[in-house]
Amino acid sequence: MKTTFACAAVLWALVVAAPSWAQAPGPLNAITDVPGIEVGQYTESVATGGMTGTTVIVSRGGATGGVSQRGGAPGTRETDMLKPEKVVEKVHAVSLSGGSAYGLAAADGVMQCLDAQGLGTPVAPGQRIPFVPAAILFDPGRCAPFTFRPDASFGLRACQAAAGGPVQQGNVGAGAGARSGGAKGGLGTASTVLANGIIVGAIVAVNSGGSTFDAAGNFFAGFLELGDEFDQPAPGALPLEAPPTLLQNTTIAVVATNATLTKAQATKIAQMADDGFARAIRPSHGVGDGDTIFALGTGRDPRDATNLVSQIGAAAADALSRAVVHAILAARSIHVGTCNVTSYCERFPAHCSN
Amino acid sequence: MTSRGVCTAICAVVTGMATLSWAQVPGPNNAITDVPGIKVGHFTANQTGTTVVLAGDSNGQGVAGGITQRGGSPGTRETDLLKPENMVQIVNAITLSGGGAYGLAAASGVMRCLEGQGIGFPVGGGNVVPIVPAAVSFDAGQCRVGASRPDLSFGLQACQNAATGPVQQGNVGAGAGAVSGGVRGGIGTASVVLDNGIIVGAIVALNSQGSAFTPEGDLYASALALPNEFDSVLSGKTLKGTKVNLVRTDGILRSGTNAVVATNVQLTKAQAIKIAEMADDGLARALTPTHSPYDSDTVFAVGTGRITMQSLGDPTLVQHQIGSAAANVLARAVMHALVSGESTACHPSYCDTYTKACLKKPKQK
Repeated sequence: MKTTFACAAVLWALVVAAPSWAQAPGPLNAITDVPGIEVGQYTESVATGGMTGTTVIVSRGGATGGVSQRGGAPGTRETDMLKPEKVVEKVHAVSLSGGSAYGLAAADGVMQCLDAQGLGTPVAPGQRIPFVPAAILFDPGRCAPFTFRPDASFGLRACQAAAGGPVQQGNVGAGAGARSGGAKGGLGTASTVLANGIIVGAIVAVNSGGSTFDAAGNFFAGFLELGDEFDQPAPGALPLEAPPTLLQNTTIAVVATNATLTKAQATKIAQMADDGFARAIRPSHGVGDGDTIFALGTGRDPRDATNLVSQIGAAAADALSRAVVHAILAARSIHVGTCNVTSYCERFPAHCSN
Repeated sequence: MTSRGVCTAICAVVTGMATLSWAQVPGPNNAITDVPGIKVGHFTANQTGTTVVLAGDSNGQGVAGGITQRGGSPGTRETDLLKPENMVQIVNAITLSGGGAYGLAAASGVMRCLEGQGIGFPVGGGNVVPIVPAAVSFDAGQCRVGASRPDLSFGLQACQNAATGPVQQGNVGAGAGAVSGGVRGGIGTASVVLDNGIIVGAIVALNSQGSAFTPEGDLYASALALPNEFDSVLSGKTLKGTKVNLVRTDGILRSGTNAVVATNVQLTKAQAIKIAEMADDGLARALTPTHSPYDSDTVFAVGTGRITMQSLGDPTLVQHQIGSAAANVLARAVMHALVSGESTACHPSYCDTYTKACLKKPKQK
């Protein structure tokens, strides 16, 4: 994106002049750049082209969590316990799934997996409860029977696969069956390293009623590109398909940082991160969107974060916008029989290098 | 507003209050199932369990639901969906379970059960997503804490057991592993029928840090009992001077009282929230302390839509009446739970502890 590249150059100059806001992606440009964060995914598909799955974000040492839930059709678990006034301070994982409300069952499998690994809040000798907030998106019935959906076994397998390192994007995990504004949606991730050592990462399953790009293929969040992380859109537009029906939406995400946060600070960061949806997806937070964002602080950076919250929140919003673009760029078309979902890169091949 | 206007307004309110009927009698089962459209099912195993409250309108479709969640250690599902600004306007069932956060799995079984019956929020193509908010609490009354916990199969079987009619109380379902203030907690239910046709019912899984009785054994909420309501259970004898040393199991994640209140009146989501909030005062009247950092305390409210709000008069006054009734019904349900609890090897029941208070002791388990 040439204009954006120029913009980025100007921004980079500004950034150098204001070093505390200097931003660069982490080595993986993934949420796993945040020390203590692991990701595991499990995906299933059927012969008729349907896909669904579960993505689990694990913090083995426990992380302070917060949530922002602004979409109009949410499906959630354990969001009450994240409120600052509630007593449990740490969560051990977050479960993102397809399957609509049925997919909340995946979190049961994540709990089993963590319990078996000895992770959780101790409640009695040899007894513990892992805390696993969860959100789901609506993908059932797409090129598959309506009953094709994640259950506890998806969460178990996704959690068992959790690891640091690169994160697979596109038609995988919670993003496997996702669609976005008439195009193929998917899973995306991104990270930012600030000059003061704070690391912020985001992971998102984009399944939005709104679109992430205009009729010419320009990403709404293209201006947030760091370096050359997105491919370059060129002119040339195809008409968009009709947007999906009211319920077939919901974009769910996790942002994470190495900062030491209170629950109230994590809540504020989730709220600021939510602006990343607003910038990347139009419209967002609609009536049929369950849009939900969790924020995690792993506490590896011991500083008091009171004066860092705004900076972390702003970085989280941008990382989340970038993760949305990565999701759409990594998504692949599905053409199986009568099942046809066109990806961004099929529609705008000149914008995608691979 | 002129002084005459003020007077008119006050007179209107006073007149409105005066025409509200407050005569109260329990329904035929003195249970939440006295509310048309409400079914209850329990499933119990290994000192833990699940209780499901199914709620349907006259066509068997979902009904408006609301929530208040004020305890400090909640475990919940689908509570964001209940906010008034969110799209889905109905619930099909509420799941209450033991097992701490693990017990949230039971709601998946309730969803499977309801999907099999075609009950849920329609999403096209004849498919449904059953809307099943849930709350859990930690089975502090299990003799070996954490020994067993509800899974998906508990919700499935509790839902399949759901029925109208009398509701089993005591150490069943979500109350199977319950303790309350050092004695056994359990499931309790109650109802009230007002003479304008409003019916309000409550069911509670009593599992509290706080106590439902004074150190001498007097029930805090005894003044709220309806005439003769506990005649077959409580002696009415004075407990003054009674001394009992109870072993308390205070501690993090160890308790929580979750409840459902239901009415036959048609509600909006916002009205259901207001009624849940007023009903929550029933926990405050029956339990001291309540809503502590260690309690999950969560109250759901549903309206099954058999009577329209408009047909009853000023909707604000009607909400006020339902909410007031719901608080007292919930407090009474707490007392029923307490007197229905059964002793185990590790926790005595209220009636085995304050033998003078009860007419007959429940069977020892």
